[in-house]
Amino acid sequence: MRMGIALQLLFTGLGVGSIYALVALGFVLIYRATNVVNFAQGDFAMLGAFSMVVLCIGLQLPYWLAILITLAAMLVFGVLFNFAVYYPLRNRGFQPVIISTIGASILLENGVLAAYGPQPQTLPALLPFQGLSIGPVFLDSQYLLILAVTVVMVTLQYLFFEHTLLGKKMQATSQDKEMASLLGIPVARMTMLTFVYSSALGGLAGILVAPILFVSVGMGSSIALKAFAASIVGGFGNATGAIVGGLALGVVETFGAAYISVPYKDAFAFILLILFLLFRPQGLFGEKVAEKA
Amino acid sequence: MLNRMISRITLAAGLSMLGCFGRAAEPLKIGIVAPLTGPAAESGRYQTQGAKLAADEVNKAGGVLGRPIELVIEDDQTTNPGIVLAFSKLAGDKDIPAFIGSVRSTQVHAMAPDIQRLGKPVMIGGTDPQLTHMGNPWLFRFRPNDTYSARVIADYGVKTLGKKKWVIVHSTDAFGANGMKNLVEALKGMGVEPVLVQGYTNNSQDFTPVVLAVKQSGADVIGSYMTFETDVGIFAKQLLQLGVKNAWVGSPSIVTTTALKLAGSALSGSYAVTDFNRDSSPTAKEFAAKYEAAYKSTPDLFSAWPYDAVHVLALAINNANSLDPQKIRESLLSVKDYSGAEGLYNFDKNGDGLHGYNIVKNDNGKIVFITHVDFND
Repeated sequence: MRMGIALQLLFTGLGVGSIYALVALGFVLIYRATNVVNFAQGDFAMLGAFSMVVLCIGLQLPYWLAILITLAAMLVFGVLFNFAVYYPLRNRGFQPVIISTIGASILLENGVLAAYGPQPQTLPALLPFQGLSIGPVFLDSQYLLILAVTVVMVTLQYLFFEHTLLGKKMQATSQDKEMASLLGIPVARMTMLTFVYSSALGGLAGILVAPILFVSVGMGSSIALKAFAASIVGGFGNATGAIVGGLALGVVETFGAAYISVPYKDAFAFILLILFLLFRPQGLFGEKVAEKA
Repeated sequence: MLNRMISRITLAAGLSMLGCFGRAAEPLKIGIVAPLTGPAAESGRYQTQGAKLAADEVNKAGGVLGRPIELVIEDDQTTNPGIVLAFSKLAGDKDIPAFIGSVRSTQVHAMAPDIQRLGKPVMIGGTDPQLTHMGNPWLFRFRPNDTYSARVIADYGVKTLGKKKWVIVHSTDAFGANGMKNLVEALKGMGVEPVLVQGYTNNSQDFTPVVLAVKQSGADVIGSYMTFETDVGIFAKQLLQLGVKNAWVGSPSIVTTTALKLAGSALSGSYAVTDFNRDSSPTAKEFAAKYEAAYKSTPDLFSAWPYDAVHVLALAINNANSLDPQKIRESLLSVKDYSGAEGLYNFDKNGDGLHGYNIVKNDNGKIVFITHVDFND
C-alpha cells in the first residue's frame, strides 16, 4: 500500500513535471536566442489548446488533423510574434522586449477572452482509453502520452541542435550574435526560427495538457510560473536543465503535498527555487560564468 | 492584470413612456461589481446577465420611483485589490444609491470596510456567515449563508444517507476555510468527528495527494467546500481514476453548469446543497424559463441571486419612496415572504434574506431536485 502510494505520486509528479518541462523548454530556447524571458510562453500553450477546441469541438475535425492544423498555425504565429513583439525592439536591450512580451501575454489572454468568453472548455483525451491500472497505481493515459512526447521532443531537439547545420547555426547565434553574423549566419532569421519553434512547442504543450487541466484563458500563465521556476532550477538557458528542473519541480511538489501539506503544495516548488537561487544560482546544469565577455 | 473592462449598460425601456411629460426621467444608477476578467470571469457574466434580466423587468413595470434602472458595471478582476478598486470607482459616483456586490466571500470581505465608510446598501452573494455578523449594517445577503449549507450537508449526509465517517475537502480561501469550520461544527452537533479535514489551494493542477489521503482515511462520505469548477473537475476525475467511490455531499460548486460540463460522468451520483434549483418553486421555474429565452444558457445560482437582488432592491426603494440609504436599509430589512428565484426572502436583523437550502442529486449529469430544508434560526 505504502509503496503503491509512493509510486502513484511519483508517476503523477513526473506527469505534471513534464508539462512544466515542455513549457520551460520554450522559455530556455528563446532566452538563449534573444537573452530575454518570453512571458507569453504560457499563452502559446493556451492558444494551442483553444485552437484544438475550435477545430475539434467547433468544426468537428478529426483529432489528428486538428493537431496538425494547430501546430501549423502555431508555426505561423511564431513568425508573427517575432515580427510584432521582438523584432522592432531587438536593438533596445532586454527590458523593452520583456515588457513587450508581457504586453503580448495580456493581449493574447484578453483577446481569447473576448472571442470565446470566460467559460472553461473541455477537450477529449487523445488516446481512447482512460489509463492503465497496475496494482494500486493508476497510469493516466494522457500523462503517459505527455511523458512520451517529452522524451521524443528532447531527443529530437538534441539531434537537431547537435547534429544539423541549421541547429548549429541557431546555437551559434544564441551564443554570440556578433560572431555569428561575422561568420555569415543570418542572425535575424535564426532568431525568427527560434520563435517559430518555441511557439509550436508551446502549442504542443497546450494540446497535451488541455484534456487534463481543461482549456481556459488563464491556463497558460499558471503553468508558465512553475515552468519559469523549473528553468531556473535546471540552469537558465540550458535545455537539459529545463527538462530535469521541470520533472524535479513536479515530483517535489507532489510528494511535499502528499507527505507534508497539501495547501503548501505551491510553496514546495518555490522553496526549491529559493534554495537554488541561494546555494546554486547557476542551477543544476548552468555554467558558473554565464556571460562570456 | 493591467487591463480593465468597463461596460455600461443603459436600460431605458421606460423612457419613451415617460416622454409625454416633456422630459425623460433620469435613469437611476445601480452599481455592480462583477468579475468580468480573471478566474471567475464566467460567473461574472452570469451575474450581470441575471441582474440585467431583472432590471429589464423592473423597467418594464415602471422602474424605480418612476425612473428606469441603469446598471453601472465595474470589473473586479476576481481579485481583492481589483474589487476594492472597482467599488471605490462606483462609490465615487454620488448618484448611485445602492450596489450589487460579489458572490465571493473573500472579495466581499475585501471591500467591506469601504462599504461601511460609504454607508450605502450593498447586495451580496458571498455565503461566509461572518459577513452579516461583523457589525456592518450595509450588507444584505441574497443567498443562504454557509451555516445553513453546512447544517444541510451534515443533516442529509448523517441522517438520510446514514454516513458517519466524514472527510472534508475544502479550498483554503475564506469561502472554503469557513465552510469547513461550519461543517465541522454542524457534524459535531450530530456527534460526528470527521476522520480527515483536507485543504487545498485554488487552481491546483493535480489532486492526486488529496485523493490518496481520502482513500487512506477510510471515510465513507466526502463533504466538500470547493471554490473553482476547474478544481472540482480535476478532483472528481481523479477520484474516479484512483477508484474512490465514496458518497459525496458538497457545497453548490459541484452542481454548477460548468462543473457538470468539465467533470462529466465523474460527478454522477454526488449530492449537493444548492440555493438555486429550477424545480424548487414556481418562481424559480419562471425565472429559469425567462433566463433561457434571453441568453440561451442554463440559469444557475450565479444568475439567480443578482436577479433576486435587483428585484428586491427595486421593491425596497419603491416601498421606502426615498433614495436615502438609511431608509432603503430599513425597507430591505422589512421585506417579508418575497418569493424569489432563490427561495422565500425573509430578512432577519443581520441582513440575511434566506435560511435554507435545496438538496439535489447528480443523476448521470442531470440535476434532480430532492428536497428543500429550511431552518427557523
